[in-house]
Amino acid sequence: MEILKTQNISKIYGSRKSSKQYMAIKNISFTVNEGEFIGVMGASGSGKTTLLNILGSIDSATTGRLFIAGQDISSLKQKQLARHRVENIGFIFQDYNLLETMTIKENIILPLALSGCRAEIMEGKVNRLADDLGIVSILDKYSYEVSGGEQQRAAACRALITNPKIILADEPTGNLDSKSGRDLLKLLTFINQEHQATIIMVTHDAFAASYCRRILFIRDGEIYNQLHAGESKKEFFNSIIDVMSVLGGEEK
Amino acid sequence: MKLSTLAWRNINKNFDKYKMYFFSLSFSVFTTYSFLALMHNKYVQMAFTYDDRYQSLLTGFGIVIMVFVMFFLLSSNSSFIRARKKEISTYSLFGMTNAKIGQLLFMETMIVGFAALVIGISTGIFFSKLTAMILLDISLASFTGELAFTIDPRSIYITTALFIAVFAVMGLSGLRVISKFELADLFKAEKIAEGRSKGSLFILLISLVLVGAGYYLASSPEPAIVVPASIPVLVLVILGTYLFFWEGLAVILNMIKKRKIRYYQAANLISVSAFSHRMRTIGAVMATIAVLSAVATTGIATGYTLYSNTEKNTYEIVGYDLYFYGGQDELLDDIKEAFDIHNTHVTQEYTTQLYTCKPQMDNFIVKGAYRISSETDYFRVYSQSVYNKLATISKTKNKPIAVNSGEALYIYPYMTHDIAREIDGQVLAFSDRNISVTSILRANFVSFGALHTIVINDSDFEALINSEDIKARDEAGVPYDKVTVFIYDNPLRSAELDRDLNGILAGKAGNFKTAYTHYDESLQVFGLVCFIGFFMSAVFILMTASLLYFKQVMAAEEERHQYKMLRKIGMDDSLEKKVVSSRLLPVFLIPLAVGIIHSIFAMKAADTVVFSNMIPVGNSYITVLGYSAVMYGLYALVYGVFYLITREQYSRIVK
Repeated sequence: MEILKTQNISKIYGSRKSSKQYMAIKNISFTVNEGEFIGVMGASGSGKTTLLNILGSIDSATTGRLFIAGQDISSLKQKQLARHRVENIGFIFQDYNLLETMTIKENIILPLALSGCRAEIMEGKVNRLADDLGIVSILDKYSYEVSGGEQQRAAACRALITNPKIILADEPTGNLDSKSGRDLLKLLTFINQEHQATIIMVTHDAFAASYCRRILFIRDGEIYNQLHAGESKKEFFNSIIDVMSVLGGEEK
Repeated sequence: MKLSTLAWRNINKNFDKYKMYFFSLSFSVFTTYSFLALMHNKYVQMAFTYDDRYQSLLTGFGIVIMVFVMFFLLSSNSSFIRARKKEISTYSLFGMTNAKIGQLLFMETMIVGFAALVIGISTGIFFSKLTAMILLDISLASFTGELAFTIDPRSIYITTALFIAVFAVMGLSGLRVISKFELADLFKAEKIAEGRSKGSLFILLISLVLVGAGYYLASSPEPAIVVPASIPVLVLVILGTYLFFWEGLAVILNMIKKRKIRYYQAANLISVSAFSHRMRTIGAVMATIAVLSAVATTGIATGYTLYSNTEKNTYEIVGYDLYFYGGQDELLDDIKEAFDIHNTHVTQEYTTQLYTCKPQMDNFIVKGAYRISSETDYFRVYSQSVYNKLATISKTKNKPIAVNSGEALYIYPYMTHDIAREIDGQVLAFSDRNISVTSILRANFVSFGALHTIVINDSDFEALINSEDIKARDEAGVPYDKVTVFIYDNPLRSAELDRDLNGILAGKAGNFKTAYTHYDESLQVFGLVCFIGFFMSAVFILMTASLLYFKQVMAAEEERHQYKMLRKIGMDDSLEKKVVSSRLLPVFLIPLAVGIIHSIFAMKAADTVVFSNMIPVGNSYITVLGYSAVMYGLYALVYGVFYLITREQYSRIVK
């Protein structure tokens, strides 16, 4: 089932009249089906984070339309957008973005609290999910008391707690060492498979991307290429490397 | 680029941040200058001629203000520098040495400080006439001199020198703050300084016990307990307050956190957790503010009540516009001549003989403070009709009475409940009859030099005169004085008449008192206390409020990224407003509330000591509370305004 659809999305920086316009994203259209695990790759400045921000409605597109679960997001007002983010989208950021004034548990229930959920329901949900993701032991700690890997697991837990339609992850392994990075990718795969969550992950790490089922390559604000994962992870990884070297080669 | 250019550019670009800093700096200068100018004002110096005490009271108060201003400036300076941490680290990153950065900040401080000096002193000069007028108007019964608009060079020098010294210290303390910054802080995402305090239930209980004990002592109705306990009460309450804010409040916050249903609402969750994370850095400030506002409100409310009751108190003590006893034969003509010279119309004049008696009675002592015995003490005695005549003439609230035969009204100026209980029903044994005390009055207007006074029925009085129990002359046969009382027009407005009356009566009459002299003296004391209270409150209130402002703005810089993140995961604007409000409100509200509760008890103690004991005022505690309610209202108003300013600035920063 189609969960997300973009129609000719563009993002232009700089005023329309001035000649110094810069098009970060040019006419991007694609669709995402429910339960997909999609990677978005591209060099720095290719527009991949801008794209993710637009998908997450943190940023708005200059032209084009965005549908999530059939709803036209570009027509929503400010307040509705905030509600839409709480209910439909879970975010995982590179620098975790946990609030250091709160315990891990409070951080995780924050999106539920924002949507006005009842206390005992929150408790139930957080306990079940934390158990599932293996972070029960750190629930009552503060973010600065636990490791980066644990913080990112907590962030993933926070993203998942509202049962969002889509989870958007922006370089989630960027700040992690390779072991924690691998653990997190396994966790995302687990979330994708066991919780049937749709995940869109921006990354420039080919290894991280190889955990995805499909990859969109962005170059200069346009979709340059798409790759689908095959049977073998190794083969998929190699073909990612190939596309990337072409991307990099043409840039020179 | 020269350092001075950079400093200048920084001030221009950071004008928003500098605005409040500049305001509080200017206000400090204004306060200091006004105060110094007041002390050097020749009218003020002339006006307070009665006593050197007033001058030293003013000086002492001046020192308190200076110390507080110093504390405030240093504290706000370091908050201000911390708020600019990122900017400072950037200089450091590009290779500026700490010494150079210090120099830059010092230069900025000096530029802003100089401007603040100019503005503060000019406002001080502009308002100098007004401040002097307010002081003289509330402290003197009839000030007639012409106040000029004065520029006092000496005060300008002292203020300037003082503040340059303060700025130098600020510069040095700034250097200390800078050297604590780690360059690495710049590269990390802005993290909130770890200020979470787990608190301790034990210390919370101790703090409550301390404060409670202080309250208990302060609210005792016995002056004999309250007076010696005043220092322990202060220590108990202040210590308790600090402990409460350091450790106790965190425990309460943790209790709030346990109430999941309320705590897990988004706005509460965000603001309570953020507030409790700030506990350590802001606890001491909140405690200081609570204590200071309690001191200020109590001082001013007490002073103002005394002040506004001065006229009433004067008559409670003096009773008439003028009374004297002894020497009527020579003095009466001179006095009447003085009234004629000053065109003053005498509305009432009454002369009567004073009598005493020494009946047999029980000897007793009440709590060491009051003793009476037939051997050493005597009673001033009045017949009912003479007493009623005096009561009608006097400007006290006492009404004529009726005393039955065999009964007596006992009057004592320092009456307490204990004394009243003890003396009620006492039998006074005269040679041919017994008279028992059946009613009690606390008053001073018929004493005329005696300590104990009774009023008896006219026929009893007649009989006792005949039996020579009541005498008009002492044991050596010298007749007792007569007393003359006067009521005349405008008694509290004419300094000249009063001076003449004093000249006539001094040394010639047995004793005398004029309402004017008493009124004028108490007005000076209470007026000065009241003025100092106003001044001090104004300084405390504005400075503590802006201190909170600085702390919160600094916090906003650190908490900014949190709001950014919260918006990403779906906090909308209206919720953000709610979060910011409930994040900031307790910071202003809790110290205010604690201060108010403190001062309610402090005023109870002040009431016991000052009013019930020294000056009889009906329902004084309620009156004081009434005045302080106005004070609290003003306090709350100023804090409210500062809260709104802070919220505005905070929201702007986290946007």
